[in-house]
Amino acid sequence: MIWTSLLPLLVVLSSLVPGLLIFTLREDQVRLRTTLNLVGAVVKILLVGLMLWGVANGLEFRFAVPFIPNGDLVLKGDALSLQFVTLSAVLWLTTTIYAIGYLEGAPLRSRFFGYFSLCVSATVGLALAGNLVTFVLFYELLTLATFPLVVHRGTAAALRAGRIYLAYTLGGGTLALLGAVLLHTQVGSPAFIPGGYLQATLGDDRVTLTLAFVLLIAGFGVKAALFPLHGWLPTAMVAPAPVSALLHAVAVVKAGAFGLVRVIYDVFGVNLMTELDLATPLLWLAAFTILYGSVRALFQTDLKRRLAFSTVSQVSYITLGIALLGPIAAVGGLVHLVHQGMMKVTLFYCAGNFAETLHIHKIRDLDGVGRRMPLTMAAFTVGALGMIGVPPVAGFISKWYLGLGALEVGADWVLLVLAGSGLLNALYFLPLLYRGWFGPAPTHWPHDEKLGTGRPGLGETHWMLLWPALTTAFLALLIGILAGTGLSPLNWAQLTVNMEFDL
Amino acid sequence: MTQVLFYLILGVALWVLGLHGLIRLHQPIRRIISVNIMGSGVFMVMVALARRSEDPDPVMHALVVTGLVVAISATAFALRLAVTGQRSEEDRE
Amino acid sequence: MTAALAALLIPLFTALGLLLLRSRSGPLVILTSLATLAAACWALVEVTTSGPQSLHLGDWPEPLAIRFQLQPITALLLVFTALIHLLVAVYAARSRHCRTRDTDYWPLSCLLQGSLNALWLSSDLFNWYVTLELLGLAAVALVALSGRKAYGPALNYLLLSLGASLVYLLGVALIYGRYGVLDITLLATQTEADQSTRVAFWLMTLGLMLKAALWPLHLWLPKAHASAPTAVSALLSALVVKGPLFILWRLWSEAAPVELAIETGPLLAIAGVAALLLGGWSALRTPWLKSLVAYSTVAQLGYALMALGLLMHWQLPALDAALWLFVLAHGLAKASMFLAAGELQATLGSKRVSALRGTTETMPVAMFAFAVAGGSLIGLPPSGGFLAKWMLLEPMLGQSEHWPWVAGILLGTLISAGYVFRVVALAFDRADPVPPDFKPDRFAHWLAMLPALVVWGLALVSQPLIAWLTGATP
Repeated sequence: MIWTSLLPLLVVLSSLVPGLLIFTLREDQVRLRTTLNLVGAVVKILLVGLMLWGVANGLEFRFAVPFIPNGDLVLKGDALSLQFVTLSAVLWLTTTIYAIGYLEGAPLRSRFFGYFSLCVSATVGLALAGNLVTFVLFYELLTLATFPLVVHRGTAAALRAGRIYLAYTLGGGTLALLGAVLLHTQVGSPAFIPGGYLQATLGDDRVTLTLAFVLLIAGFGVKAALFPLHGWLPTAMVAPAPVSALLHAVAVVKAGAFGLVRVIYDVFGVNLMTELDLATPLLWLAAFTILYGSVRALFQTDLKRRLAFSTVSQVSYITLGIALLGPIAAVGGLVHLVHQGMMKVTLFYCAGNFAETLHIHKIRDLDGVGRRMPLTMAAFTVGALGMIGVPPVAGFISKWYLGLGALEVGADWVLLVLAGSGLLNALYFLPLLYRGWFGPAPTHWPHDEKLGTGRPGLGETHWMLLWPALTTAFLALLIGILAGTGLSPLNWAQLTVNMEFDL
Repeated sequence: MTQVLFYLILGVALWVLGLHGLIRLHQPIRRIISVNIMGSGVFMVMVALARRSEDPDPVMHALVVTGLVVAISATAFALRLAVTGQRSEEDRE
Repeated sequence: MTAALAALLIPLFTALGLLLLRSRSGPLVILTSLATLAAACWALVEVTTSGPQSLHLGDWPEPLAIRFQLQPITALLLVFTALIHLLVAVYAARSRHCRTRDTDYWPLSCLLQGSLNALWLSSDLFNWYVTLELLGLAAVALVALSGRKAYGPALNYLLLSLGASLVYLLGVALIYGRYGVLDITLLATQTEADQSTRVAFWLMTLGLMLKAALWPLHLWLPKAHASAPTAVSALLSALVVKGPLFILWRLWSEAAPVELAIETGPLLAIAGVAALLLGGWSALRTPWLKSLVAYSTVAQLGYALMALGLLMHWQLPALDAALWLFVLAHGLAKASMFLAAGELQATLGSKRVSALRGTTETMPVAMFAFAVAGGSLIGLPPSGGFLAKWMLLEPMLGQSEHWPWVAGILLGTLISAGYVFRVVALAFDRADPVPPDFKPDRFAHWLAMLPALVVWGLALVSQPLIAWLTGATP
């Protein structure tokens, strides 16, 4: 076997193996566990970097083993998958550091980090999945690996959230499986190809195709938190902050959104979608979810719940972008996959920092927190402004492309949705910023944990909590500013879209 | 031929009677007897079927004998379980 | 054929030897069980290389002879039986909580294995009756090892099993009266879809369904399996109920007239769906851990019954692979689940499901084994249960007139997820965990984990396995 066929497997194993080893560690083997975690995360970034370089130079990375008749297990690095893989790998590193700081001294850390690594493995496997069977397999594995993290705290609320999470995601997984089998019976499970593989083989069996599409969209829509399948996401916020940050900002919801991208572009293909007119209902659903999530977010008093509903809304931008079926909108949707991940992870890190350092959970307690924790608040501000779509933060780029894309395909009403959602975003994020920076600070903070030095500045909280937030905030700014250069996610998204639309 | 038919019907009737007892009764001993009646019914059917042609079919007879052996050992085992179970219930009282 | 015969005779003679020598030696049984496994593997190799074989006992000529037949699927079942038996024997010899260590468990379990192997190898209707009785008697005696509390369920099991055998036997008598043969291969060439054949096949089917605890004739199973000692529950659920299922499959796929099979198939498939739903529902409701696992057996047998029914109705040999994958996956997963459940309840000192709060902390390995095995029961990819489900779904979704059956699978999946995660979610409860009475027995927990890992490991050999099963079944 040559190295190009092993590399995708190694990318998955680089988190799976450390994860399995971590399960066997005793609680007090902190140093070994931390080493394993960090080595795994760094190795993964290096491997992904190698793969990025390879794909940019025209190499093909494909690993396949036989699994079921006409459906191999295929891991394949292409432009689209690398976008998601890179995002996961980078955020896994920052979140691992964050989690080590966050859970310092907490019980059951071996279990936590074990499942944490399994989650990342499942996410990366899903991103690299080269056909529908493999995708569904990792989609289910991701559910299994995240469940223990959602219920990690073991409280009644956590268990309830876990049960709800399972009910939604296993239900969705089963529907997706049915969809996959249905397509498999017609054409087997060939590799994902730009432009879709169904067109050539059966363009005429409308009923089967439509049913398969509905099943797959319903299945993946659960994790992508499409209305009315979003109910699990806000309740799952009882999980520890690193879990909310990585899983609910990146891994799980993006897995759903990524599934939608794969189904629409690489299974059905744009032409077939147009022919069967399947995209329009999805477009409406996405538009509605965007507004619905924003409106619900407006009425939340709990910081994490507000962020959660904001996620519901923001993930649907991706769906919206791909459901518009135009190349420019597609760029907007795909690039938002990365942009939203960066910004939302920053917001969750910051929310976690407020909670850990000063026990701030409610929005009304944010008054004056900017004076006590200015750096965290600054990172939060970058994330929030990005969500609203203020240039030059990354979020602006996505919305710009989405808007242009909507005009390109003549769906002008989408601009209204974008504008309305932008307005709502401003309405629920700006008060937080105002409270944080300009609200009256209490004379002393009632529940100050005195992490770090306890003084504003680089010691305002534990360094392992602060630096990840600063890093991702910086990255969110950077990919916005450098959007025009060759290395940006925008450029990758354009590459992918050029292939999908055969431009 | 009518004689064969008579025994056939009789066998099936016994079988049904036994089955009914097995389902409806609750005391262990009665249920054991029911199973035995069922068994006798089947064996009677088999013996009757052995005479369906002029020469009696020895294979059928062999089968019945084997069946009887199985039935006897199973009944012994069932009785043992029933009696010990009964006794342990009395002990508890 | 010699190897297959050895796989049958070794456990039989071990059982007799133990009885004669008045020995209850676990290690000896483990040794002979290893030998049986080796013989079974050899038989498997033999049948794969040189095709099916048969043996006429005592060299009697064709219609009179009792014929042993070694088919690929038979050989696979021999290996499977030997594996599970060996695993459970190691558990029974080694676990601290196993109450069967110096009891009659050893000769009886060998007898059970011997009669089951005889059942796999037989291919005539009356011989199956005899092996079924042997199997039933050994199983009941094993259940009764639990002590006097188990005598009630054991007696009920015995009586129903005897009754079922007699229902089956009446069917056999009618077949013999009509066609004058008992050998299934000879029968296959003669059967016609007339009234007496129909009645005979239905009688045999009913008897076998009662023996295999197939819905709606399953009511005896939960109590019997739940009240048996842990090692025995594992054997019963993983192996014993599969015996009658095997006979049902041979009857309907080889001997029965095609019209009759097409006509009866939907009834069986509907019973399968009902088993999935109602068995699953009972598993969701019961407060007892082992009852939950036992009800899940009832539910999971629904999948197999569904596969069989649809196989008959659509005359699709592709479903053979689905059926046997279900049997293998369920056997492995259920062995794991019963061992884990037994360890959990013995260590915690409570038989209730609610006692499992916090077990991910106190007994992580056992709980993990339970969850992993449960994953295969739900059919999560890439476990063996998933492969089976996939093989069943494919012909269903392939044609639009078959789509309604998919609802059964969908609901079955969700309800199994419900009862598995009912337990798993509790295990993550840290608010008030139940403290264990004893120090957990790590070795036994890993032993429980082993078959669960194997059932997920089937993914690694899935393609050759499926190809083999599709080619192996006639």
